[in-house]
Amino acid sequence: MTPHPARSRLQPGDIVLRHARSYTWVRRACLAASFALTFAIPAWHLHALSQWGRAPGAIGPPGALSLFGLELIDPLAVTSVALARGPSLSLVLLALPALALVLVLGRFFCGWVCPYVPLLAASNSLRWLLHRVGLAPLDLKLPRRTSWAVLVAVLGASALSGAQLWPLVYPPSVIGREAFRAVFFGGLGAGALLIAFAFAFDSLVSRAGFCRSLCPGGAMFSLLGAASPITVKLEREKCTGCTACDVVCNLGQSPMTGRIDEGCERCGKCVASCPTSALRLGRRP
Amino acid sequence: MRRRAVVLGLGATAATGLLARRAEARARIRPPGALPAGAFEQTCIGCQRCAEVCPPKAIRFTASFAADGATPYLDTRDTACTLCMKCPQVCPTGALVPLAAEDVRMGEPVLDRSRCLPWNGSGNCRLCYYVCPYPDRAVELVGAHSGPLFHPEACVGCGLCEEACPDLATAIRIVPKGKPK
Repeated sequence: MTPHPARSRLQPGDIVLRHARSYTWVRRACLAASFALTFAIPAWHLHALSQWGRAPGAIGPPGALSLFGLELIDPLAVTSVALARGPSLSLVLLALPALALVLVLGRFFCGWVCPYVPLLAASNSLRWLLHRVGLAPLDLKLPRRTSWAVLVAVLGASALSGAQLWPLVYPPSVIGREAFRAVFFGGLGAGALLIAFAFAFDSLVSRAGFCRSLCPGGAMFSLLGAASPITVKLEREKCTGCTACDVVCNLGQSPMTGRIDEGCERCGKCVASCPTSALRLGRRP
Repeated sequence: MRRRAVVLGLGATAATGLLARRAEARARIRPPGALPAGAFEQTCIGCQRCAEVCPPKAIRFTASFAADGATPYLDTRDTACTLCMKCPQVCPTGALVPLAAEDVRMGEPVLDRSRCLPWNGSGNCRLCYYVCPYPDRAVELVGAHSGPLFHPEACVGCGLCEEACPDLATAIRIVPKGKPK
């Protein structure tokens, strides 16, 4: 066996996640279910239409889901409509269930629900593979304020232009419509190009760069979830300074040094990566 | 600094706003119960629920680039609305408002008499009259050849007549309400 090629830095793919003691499998099940439902809900409705049978109790994509009457609407959507049309009581009521989740769980949508995440995982695998064959892809670190600028821009443009524009550049929304199109009519539309761009950007230019510094929804969740009581806690005496947690984080957080901010998606990958079990998800002190 | 980001964002807003204005959304036939053009595009979040419950699969999203690319529309020539009125009931943001089928005003019919079989004297055809959900109110048959005469004020704009109009005629077109013809 040839020796492992010398690497200047650890790659996320090199780090073994210890599934047994973390939420990894629960999270993967959530993500798989979300991705599957993005296609399964339209398919189920299509079936119900063709049979004139009963429609399922779930309707809508992951970012605008109604589950047996419980509305879980992306705060970005409600905020943007409120800015364009003026706030109303019905909009506030519509936003409440999802907003309550975000206030408590922070940016969890990005780590547990977003249907783009399976593609991001594939992109990270591709990056790891490119590293292994000696074609290290770029890893540009765009400043995180870029996503704030994108958020302000899409909200402003949606309010001024006369049409909601964020659904055209927000991956969960785009994937939802493209999944619907594929199921109902076959084929893909222009939205697939946005997803292809995000995948190429994440794979070749900046690791998880779209999620980290371009996605308006991620910025919105960070903003609303800034006061979330859930965070990653470090037991310093157990930490050996191996940096595995910092490397495995998609969103540039640094659990090893305790620098966790509102950008944390509570995915728990750092917890799973820690060889000495120094990290856990818990309440903010 | 977040402030710089906000300033940057506002700059980008101005640029996108200008571009989007220039692009100007094409007037389309919207699902029944839609808010007036303008308000509808501002209120719709592109969640595709209306399209998921549409029995004839009449509600579409464009596959090409457009500022209103995330909003639903109908291509009534291809597939007309059957006025089942399920779509307004599932709209989360009130871009579609539930209402009685006969109060729907999605668009209005424009008849090209030179293409219409009875009017241009090529034969008998009463398909539009037979499929109309409000016959004798929205469309009546007049004249020696029983040609259709549409009454836009009573027409819901469902497009069943446009869908039924034979391919060799295609004399009927549903145009969005209030659009200059």
